[in-house]
Amino acid sequence: MKLKKSFALLLFQLVIVSFLAQETNTKQTSITLLSTKTNYIVGEDIILNFKVKKDTVFQLYCSNSYGSIVLQSKVLSQKASFTVPRFLSKKRGILSWKIINTDETISGNISISSQQHPTSIETYLGPPSIDAGGLDYTMLVVIPTDSLDNPILDNSKVDVKYQFLKSENITPIYTDKLIGYKNFYAPKKSGRMIISSECHGLNSKEFDVNIMPAIATDFKIFTHRNHEYADGNQITTLYTSIIKDKNNNIISDGSYIEFYITDQKGGILKTAATTINGVAHAKIVHPDFEDTWKIKAYFIGIAESNTITIKYKKVIEDYNVAFKQHNRIITVGPLESFMGQLIPDGLSIKLSIYKNKTLIKELFKESNNGFASFYLDPNIYENNEYQVIIETAGIKKEFKSFKLW
Amino acid sequence: MVKTNKRILRGVLMLTYVIIIGILLFLVSSIFSFLNTGADRSKMLHTEVKKADQYLPKVTWILDGNEGRKISKQKIAEVENDYLDAWYVKHIAYKTNTKVGIEDYFTESARENIYNILNFNKSNKISVESTTLQHHLNLEFFSEDGQLIVLKDTDALEYKKVFKDNKLILETTEISTYKYVLLLEDGFWRIRHMVKESSEKYQDPHQKRTITDTNIKGINYYPQATPWNMYGDAFDISIIEKDFKIIKEANLNSVRIFVPYEDFGKANIKYEKLEKLQKVLDAAKKANLKAVVTLFDFYGNYDVLDWTLNHRHAEKIIEKFKDHKAILAWDVKNEPNLDFDARGKENVTAWLSFMIDLIKSIDKKHPVTIGWSNVESASILKDKVDVVSFHYYEDLSKFESKYLSLKENIKDKPIILQEFGVSSYSGLWRPFAGSEEKQAAYYKEIQKVLTRNNIPFMSWTLYDFDFVPKEVLGRLPWRTNPQKKFGFISNTGEKKLSYKYISN
Repeated sequence: MKLKKSFALLLFQLVIVSFLAQETNTKQTSITLLSTKTNYIVGEDIILNFKVKKDTVFQLYCSNSYGSIVLQSKVLSQKASFTVPRFLSKKRGILSWKIINTDETISGNISISSQQHPTSIETYLGPPSIDAGGLDYTMLVVIPTDSLDNPILDNSKVDVKYQFLKSENITPIYTDKLIGYKNFYAPKKSGRMIISSECHGLNSKEFDVNIMPAIATDFKIFTHRNHEYADGNQITTLYTSIIKDKNNNIISDGSYIEFYITDQKGGILKTAATTINGVAHAKIVHPDFEDTWKIKAYFIGIAESNTITIKYKKVIEDYNVAFKQHNRIITVGPLESFMGQLIPDGLSIKLSIYKNKTLIKELFKESNNGFASFYLDPNIYENNEYQVIIETAGIKKEFKSFKLW
Repeated sequence: MVKTNKRILRGVLMLTYVIIIGILLFLVSSIFSFLNTGADRSKMLHTEVKKADQYLPKVTWILDGNEGRKISKQKIAEVENDYLDAWYVKHIAYKTNTKVGIEDYFTESARENIYNILNFNKSNKISVESTTLQHHLNLEFFSEDGQLIVLKDTDALEYKKVFKDNKLILETTEISTYKYVLLLEDGFWRIRHMVKESSEKYQDPHQKRTITDTNIKGINYYPQATPWNMYGDAFDISIIEKDFKIIKEANLNSVRIFVPYEDFGKANIKYEKLEKLQKVLDAAKKANLKAVVTLFDFYGNYDVLDWTLNHRHAEKIIEKFKDHKAILAWDVKNEPNLDFDARGKENVTAWLSFMIDLIKSIDKKHPVTIGWSNVESASILKDKVDVVSFHYYEDLSKFESKYLSLKENIKDKPIILQEFGVSSYSGLWRPFAGSEEKQAAYYKEIQKVLTRNNIPFMSWTLYDFDFVPKEVLGRLPWRTNPQKKFGFISNTGEKKLSYKYISN
């Protein structure tokens, strides 16, 4: 009886043990990871080794930042090894792997970090020109990359060097989010700033930023003329003071300045010039009659000048008018200038012919050697009584009841 | 004689001349038009890339500001557009192992990394079908000159199928976080650097929903005149309201209605279709009926690159109706197991699985089910659905035992007989196959089983139809004609014998 009992017990135990044994058997994986290293530096050879029960070929799925591949194992005496190809192991980031043809999932992640020392510094600088005065700024962005074109680790120090006029500076920045950047605020003076960066002894190329003068401030204008006579021949030069921004930088060459001239009658004349070294020189010919000009210049939308007034004196006090050939040839002259000299050729003379107080014709001539003559053709102007007005150099002469015959 | 010859000669000469001139003119003009093609200035900066919806994963932006220059909404939209396009061309490239489009979205040095993988995969006959379902983008840095961006994509959900020698060897879903440097080149935001910062396996969200009412006595519903085309031009809510009244008066409490995928406008759901669905659901609510809404009717692609479009479709419908009082449950797809042969079981199951996750991520209340076409398929994805649904058109005598064995298998979830019925057709194509009496007997018999086992049911269908579209069962008359006679009410509106057993 006892024997029977112990036999049954033994049998029972055996059954349990064999069950357990079976269980462990099924639980035991057909492939287990041997490699323990999970952190690599880019470019290092990554070989994943597994212990296998049978020498069958296994497949490994590998996925990095850019894509996924499948590798075949090399099996040698119960050891399967996978060599991760260089084009995956050279990129920074997480490399996930997974054994494919097994029932249970055997997978893991390898973290691949970049090399510490960059071999190139990709640098972007923009905008390339900024306004002086401390408000505007440009930004330098650096991406230091290692020899395998990976952005190097965050928090790497990059020295940014910049030179402006007499100052040369170095400030460190630290890379963050794959890049490093620094804002350069414009100094008060205009000029050119040279910027470069250095990381672990590697220098970037040279970059430059043009610090352009800021917008102009109000300015003054002046005139220059040979004489003050309204001879319709000489030229008056209008020019500005040196136009500067608020920080005393001379504004950029080529800034367009417009001069508005208001004459006595309220008419507007306009001349314009572009600046060189902050000064714009515009020219305008003298009027040919007595006049007073008010001049004001504008840097349109930005700045304006004061208003100046200049006067032009009468050059011709009086002149003669002679009539010949039944009054059909009218000679005006001699037209004498301020020193009694004949006025330079080209003075405009206007002859207006009225009949019964209605204007029939206006004739224009320019003086030649101090004279101008008009011919009233009998085919056009019939014999009759007319009224004639001659006007030159601001002097009007009227001939009422002027007869042609 | 001589004269005629001369004339012929002259004629031939002239004709030749005309032909030569003609040919020359044609050549010159074609050279001219060739030189003029591609010179369209508007195309130089890619300002006018025609956009078709091919790839629309869920994108959310974390707009918490960024370092550097302030970015405008329009710029963000441009970045998103190009970023998704970059993913799309990458999916296409890895699927086909070709380089098309890569150079538009990756800078010269970045695309090398992709080409290396492509070449390796091509020579090893590996291809990867993949898609991403969600992206959480955060713009971390925007340079002052507007040419450089640092972008972080947190928890991008990637689904991949890996093929070797055209055989599926691996399905994997990963949640990864990426960091990018993008440069603006030629009008494209191109990827310069790409760093995967973390990658984990996708965890099934395991969201459970319970059905509010398991005492379902329902019917599959199409209007008599417009079966399988409920929301077309002939849509008439008064007919539907009347039918719902009939259903309610027949002592039923629920309907199953269908949302056709293409008819509703695919990813860009048409507003007027949603309006019609709204009216139908409102009518159901008015009639005190609950509705099981079956999505993706007449859809059968399941292609991995189509998923994001499907998701946008479902998202809009669920978002709109998730709080509607008439909704009883969402039915993802009608009889998807019938697509296993043509589209691959893995493909269809993965599609369903992600669709369930999507629906549950939007609707926190209503249960989700799948309308399997037979008992055998009903246990597929049983852990993901909240309610198991199956259809039964087989031998009535085996129904009870099959149901009981399914119930044995699925203990913790309600099981619905979502479609069943028999045709009363008897005619030229299947003489003596059915009759109204046989149909009535069938319903009488099955109702006994249903009552005995307390099985929730939805029968097929209310009406006899005059027309069955070819997309449903093809064109063969011996298949379509019986399909017309499954109703409880004839096409003329008379109640058939089976009507007596419509609800018990």
